[in-house]
Amino acid sequence: MLVEDEIVIAMMLEDMIIKLEGVPVGPATSLQKGLDMARSETFDAAVLDVNLGDGNSDDIANLLAQRQIPFILATGYGATTPNAHAAPILQKPYMLRDLEKAFADIFCVIKPQ
Amino acid sequence: MADTLLADQDLSFRLVADSAPVPMWVTRADRQRLFVNRAYVAFLGCSYEEAVEFDWRRIIHPDDSEHILQASMTGEASLQPFTLEGRYRRGDGEWRWISSISNPRWDADGRPNGFIGVAHDVTDAKTAEIALREREAQLSAMVYQSAAGFARMDLNGKFTLVSDHFCAISGRTRNELLKLGIQDITHPDDFAASAQQMNEVATHGTPITIEKRYIRPDETSVWVNNSATLIRREDGSPHQVLAVSLDVTTRRKSEVALKRASESMRLAIEGAGMATWELDLSTMEGPWSPNRFEILGYPKSASGRAPYSDWRARIHPDDLERADAAAQRSFSEGTPFEIEYRILRADTGEERWLRSNGSIIPASAGQDSRFVGISFDITDRKRAEVQQQLMIDELNHRVKNTLGIVQSIARQSIKPDSSVSENIEAFEGRLAALSTVHNLLTSGLWQATSLSDLIVGSLRPLARNEQIDAEGQRVMLGTKTAVTMALALHELATNALKYGALSVPDGHVHIRWTLSDLGELKLSWIERGGPKVVVPEKGRFGLRMIEKGIAAELRGTVEIVFDTDGLIFRLKAQLPESED
Repeated sequence: MLVEDEIVIAMMLEDMIIKLEGVPVGPATSLQKGLDMARSETFDAAVLDVNLGDGNSDDIANLLAQRQIPFILATGYGATTPNAHAAPILQKPYMLRDLEKAFADIFCVIKPQ
Repeated sequence: MADTLLADQDLSFRLVADSAPVPMWVTRADRQRLFVNRAYVAFLGCSYEEAVEFDWRRIIHPDDSEHILQASMTGEASLQPFTLEGRYRRGDGEWRWISSISNPRWDADGRPNGFIGVAHDVTDAKTAEIALREREAQLSAMVYQSAAGFARMDLNGKFTLVSDHFCAISGRTRNELLKLGIQDITHPDDFAASAQQMNEVATHGTPITIEKRYIRPDETSVWVNNSATLIRREDGSPHQVLAVSLDVTTRRKSEVALKRASESMRLAIEGAGMATWELDLSTMEGPWSPNRFEILGYPKSASGRAPYSDWRARIHPDDLERADAAAQRSFSEGTPFEIEYRILRADTGEERWLRSNGSIIPASAGQDSRFVGISFDITDRKRAEVQQQLMIDELNHRVKNTLGIVQSIARQSIKPDSSVSENIEAFEGRLAALSTVHNLLTSGLWQATSLSDLIVGSLRPLARNEQIDAEGQRVMLGTKTAVTMALALHELATNALKYGALSVPDGHVHIRWTLSDLGELKLSWIERGGPKVVVPEKGRFGLRMIEKGIAAELRGTVEIVFDTDGLIFRLKAQLPESED
């Protein structure tokens, strides 16, 4: 699932996920939409933009953690981003290989469980 | 031979003379001494015979010898009583002041027959006289040479005697002053004090010192320290007043200058919002400037002083340890005190940031060591720092976001089936559209921008004015919406320029929009007069941006109709109430 309020970036992210042979769900372009989708949709992982127009994505992150769905945080704020769930962080702007590496990280973590 | 006289005289004379406590002698006309008494013999400290023969000129003090011998010769020749005064060496070697009186003697026939002399020891009186004269000389030296001016006045203040220096201080001659009174040369502002001083001294005899000004003839004034004392007559009644004046103009001037300088300094410091305070390290309290009370939220104390503990009580608990450590280090090691800390105001409890600087002034000249400091409120600066950090973070975020958008645009603009120059042109066009909308946003301080500005700004680089007519009410778009909208408009315009109405001179684009009270935006883009419309292949970024991007951003619906007369784009969206 993609949560990214900047639609142009969301479109690129969709393309990247397709390139990585994933199936994009979304994008959710607001906190509210992201929360709704995080509750109802079915997906294996999420890329969350930290700073959304109507708030930050902490609540979505908590929800996903509850559902034990791994996620990646994308941010322009750098290393100061609060990261309660120790998720991999993508610094904007990120490259395809950064995203690939982040996915590799979360799927490694989740696999033993 | 001695018996010649004694034969003639009564023996009782000798007895009387011997019992007198002062030396006496009798001489003949040939100056030979006929008789000396016991006191005479005792003075010389020799035998009677030696005393009679003694040449008294040998024992005259060298300084007195000339005038005594002169007076003696003159006196004897005059045959009149004469007095000699001078120092003689007594038998024991001590110099004594002797005053002698010689009276002529006459024989039965009235002829001169020598002298009878009596000598008085006047050493004590003479010593006293010399001492007095020395004292007078000292006094007059004091009066005439001292920096003080002396003036004597009658009880009405009229001058009766003035010293040279008093003349110099008052800038007037002695003759002038002796015609005037003290009030004539007193500065009008000091009349009252001066009159009171004269009155107190004249009526009660109380010595009084005041500082006042004299006016000189050239109208300049001179500050004097003036002490007045009553001079009484022997019966104790008031007689005159003695005034001693010291010129203190220089001191007064430097005092005034110092006071003015310190006042300016205080105003400058307080004007700069700084509070000053002092701490006496032996009592742990000291004076505070009025604004220090204000800064800490205390009412000003009557004495203008406050204890160290009052300051300490205001320090934010989280900063107290740090402040204590800094203060103790300064008190004990003399290092400059410098700290930024928070206080909680005494009156409102409000948290404020203060900066304090201070240093120790070591003990000197009867003063214990002191601590002097300044404090000022830096809350605004601290808030600005926080604000600035937020701004930097926000800027960083925006730059990163924008780079993300540029990255996305770049990826979407590069198509493997297009030429490099086409790819670059598409990318640059989109970049320009992004830049234009950023300009609009920047001029609006990154706040909302109007839809009409956005349309004009986005289309101007691509189309001639007469080919486009846009009309609608005032609609404000948030920054993010504006960016998406600008990119969508750019894609619509680029598409129209390549394939649609803007590709021919007669083509037109009509843009209309409305905004309902509930915030629903309806916008239409209708192309007319262009070439026959061909339905494009799917997946073009432009189309995707128009169809999907704008719909997702505005949470609305987008309809694109490839009508043969021209492309029709309709947008129906709910505008967010507010957004960043």
